[in-house]
Amino acid sequence: MKYLDLNNMFPKKKLECSEDEIFDIAIIGAGVVGCGIFKEFCENGAKTVLVEKANDILEGASKGNSAILHTGFDAPPESLELECVKRGYSEYLKIKKKLNLPLLNTKALVVAWSDEQVEKLDGILKKGLNNGVKELELLTDKQIFEKEPNLSKNAKAALLVHGESLIDPWNSPLAYVKLGLQAGGKLAFSHEVTDGHFNGEFWEIKTSQKIIKAKTVINAAGLYGDIVDSIKGSKDFKIIPRKGQFIIFDKTAYNLINSIILPVPTKITKGVVITKTAFGNILVGPTAEDQESRDDSVTKEETIKMLLKKAYELLPDLQKHNITATFAGLRPASDKNHYRVKINDEKNWITVGGIRSTGLTSSLGLAKYVYELNDRKYEKKKKKASVIKIQNISEFQTRDYQDSDYGKIVCHCECVTQREIENALKGEASAGTIGGLKRRTRITMGRCQGFNCQAEVSEICEKSQS
Amino acid sequence: MKKIQIAIVGAGPAGLSLAIELSNMGYSDVVVFEREDEAGGTPRHCGHLGFGIFEFYRLLSGPNYAKKLVEIALSKNITIKLKHTLINIEKNNLTFSTTDGLETYSAQKTILALGARETPRPSRFVSGTRSPNIITTGALQRFVYMQKCAPFKNAVIIGSEVVSFSAIMSAKHAGIKIKAIIEEDENLNTFNILKPISELFLKTPVKVGYKVLSINGEEKNIQSVTISKNGIEEIIECDGVIFSGKFTPESAILQENFKDFNHTNNSVFVSQIFQTTSKNFFAVGNVLRGALTAFKCYFEGKKLARFIDDSLKNTKLNPLHVKIQCDENIQWYSPSLVDLNYPSKTLTNLRINKKATGKIIVSLNDNDVYSKDINVSTYTNIKIPRLDYPISKNDNVKIRLES
Repeated sequence: MKYLDLNNMFPKKKLECSEDEIFDIAIIGAGVVGCGIFKEFCENGAKTVLVEKANDILEGASKGNSAILHTGFDAPPESLELECVKRGYSEYLKIKKKLNLPLLNTKALVVAWSDEQVEKLDGILKKGLNNGVKELELLTDKQIFEKEPNLSKNAKAALLVHGESLIDPWNSPLAYVKLGLQAGGKLAFSHEVTDGHFNGEFWEIKTSQKIIKAKTVINAAGLYGDIVDSIKGSKDFKIIPRKGQFIIFDKTAYNLINSIILPVPTKITKGVVITKTAFGNILVGPTAEDQESRDDSVTKEETIKMLLKKAYELLPDLQKHNITATFAGLRPASDKNHYRVKINDEKNWITVGGIRSTGLTSSLGLAKYVYELNDRKYEKKKKKASVIKIQNISEFQTRDYQDSDYGKIVCHCECVTQREIENALKGEASAGTIGGLKRRTRITMGRCQGFNCQAEVSEICEKSQS
Repeated sequence: MKKIQIAIVGAGPAGLSLAIELSNMGYSDVVVFEREDEAGGTPRHCGHLGFGIFEFYRLLSGPNYAKKLVEIALSKNITIKLKHTLINIEKNNLTFSTTDGLETYSAQKTILALGARETPRPSRFVSGTRSPNIITTGALQRFVYMQKCAPFKNAVIIGSEVVSFSAIMSAKHAGIKIKAIIEEDENLNTFNILKPISELFLKTPVKVGYKVLSINGEEKNIQSVTISKNGIEEIIECDGVIFSGKFTPESAILQENFKDFNHTNNSVFVSQIFQTTSKNFFAVGNVLRGALTAFKCYFEGKKLARFIDDSLKNTKLNPLHVKIQCDENIQWYSPSLVDLNYPSKTLTNLRINKKATGKIIVSLNDNDVYSKDINVSTYTNIKIPRLDYPISKNDNVKIRLES
């Protein structure tokens, strides 16, 4: 019988450009930060290429996170992180409607579970106000249970943060890439950067496929940020990958909470978040485990069980619901507790590193910051009217299965249609990995984890390549 | 909105046999809804023999059995609506997603025959890497029998139910070598004779008492699994892992729509006439408790027809439900309600979670009224009779295992 290699169903993508083409900008790394920067430079007229070692976007740190759009209420005061989070937040609000990107303003509750934590809430409130986040409110336990009747009765007080919201962590960066492509950008996927040489005028970036020439390099290599950074000749920081394990509960649990339930951070641990997701589940996590490996995102039975115990403690009714998935993500934390953004003018090199947990929110703001930092003018082309509409896979907007002429529903748990899958396999920014297809459509990510549709989906993928 | 008399959701053995029997009784306003693009249910992808003996007196493969059921239904002019996915239940209204847009049907009686699926890796908490090469038996069968391809070359099977051994057959059919069957318990979750049979004739070692410590791999490629027994670790090289069994009802939509949900069975409460706590809704087949064989579902569906007929004719008869509760040692039990309007010899049928020797005890309002000595495995059906003690409304009926 024919053998089907599920990990290599998609042909490697190629960069179509001539040998002596010199780009204005080469961005290394197509995580959420790279995607945001790509959009910004393309839209401002820079000839830009997005270089990525995987065959799709978001294959590293950006694939696993809690999908919250942060206000910055708890960001380090006066930091670049705070500036970019706030700017990224408002940029997202500006473009989301045009692109059909979802947003659910659930609000967040920073819940104090002990008297000691109650005392800390005032400080968090002050920090938030100082950070320019105005819509904050202290709640009594009674007020908490009015909002969250299912929460453990051990909750003592809380800080309500009005602006905290949920978004689709995968299709928003995809939208940024599509906007960049529309403005003339190019993608170089399956191009692993191995070395580079700067000749005073432009960089020759050596990759696993071909040499890419660009006047300026932006390093957004995430978990490999420090290694890529050493190409410029000096090493300014070290990445310390921080693993976070998560549990996703079945959609039946969706209505157990209304807001994002945040912990009061302590010096030892940042604690566990309980939140809805854009896709109608409940997410619990993450853990924070520093490690050496940049790839090792295995889940551990004992850690997951510990998380589960914590989740049941905070939200007892979760015990009545099944677990849909467990996963681990790696955050590209660095040896210092802040963003590592730096321009090297002599070498035409910009480092955008150490973007730990807030990258999803800050990416668009960070992109604007980096563009201004670069301080070069490009010839802006006339803007075409944007016709990019992103396929909505969140539960807060109309889904394809609620429409007609979609062919059939292929994935029953997530109600993914044949048309959604076919669309995700089309075009320049099409899925390049099975994970990429899952992130664009949610196929096989539901409660049966592919019992029903994995074989059929694999066949659709295989057919689409021939 | 379209009005129909009887809606059956799910065109597997239970749903189809019910539809056929209703047709035999003269009912014509019956619609069977199926979310797949083909009727027949799970047997469609069980490519091995073993179906049809009791129903058709012939030994059939799963796909042929499914075909036969569908043929009979179609020969009786039963309407089967394919590619109709139930997305909402409100009062007597069922809303389906179809490629022609959302469609809502209002049915006098609705029968939920939604079937079951296996429990995949996440809720089994097995440590290790994530990979598309970690699948369930159901997914393997679909790869092998429906898409005609093999997703890996060497695999291990985790779990030891009947379906785990059927996974060996599916793998063999596709040229996949099964390196071992791994069972954490000291006993198989099926007849122990399958261990020597599997080892002698299928050359597949069956490792009992082994815990899977981790699935190892690089990026998304699996390289091995680490298992351990009595503190001694062992590594088995493989590029695929099959999680088999632990069937669970396809019941999420019921959990979302029924106030009263039975967490032992992971399903709705039903009485001995398959009626739920909502008068016009019935549930039948594997949606009640995970997997029993196709013929059991078939005969359940057939049996239900009489009760549907009854409830359509005796519109004034209101159910008199008494709830049965079970302790955490019970894997599932069915029925989970007693309807006092209907006499029955059996209170409930159940299975236990772990092989045990001891007593199954029934209590009424905390007084023990029945006790049965047992020495059984997880796959043994235990029948609890209802003859010896009267149950009246408001009684508190509990079943427990003492071992």
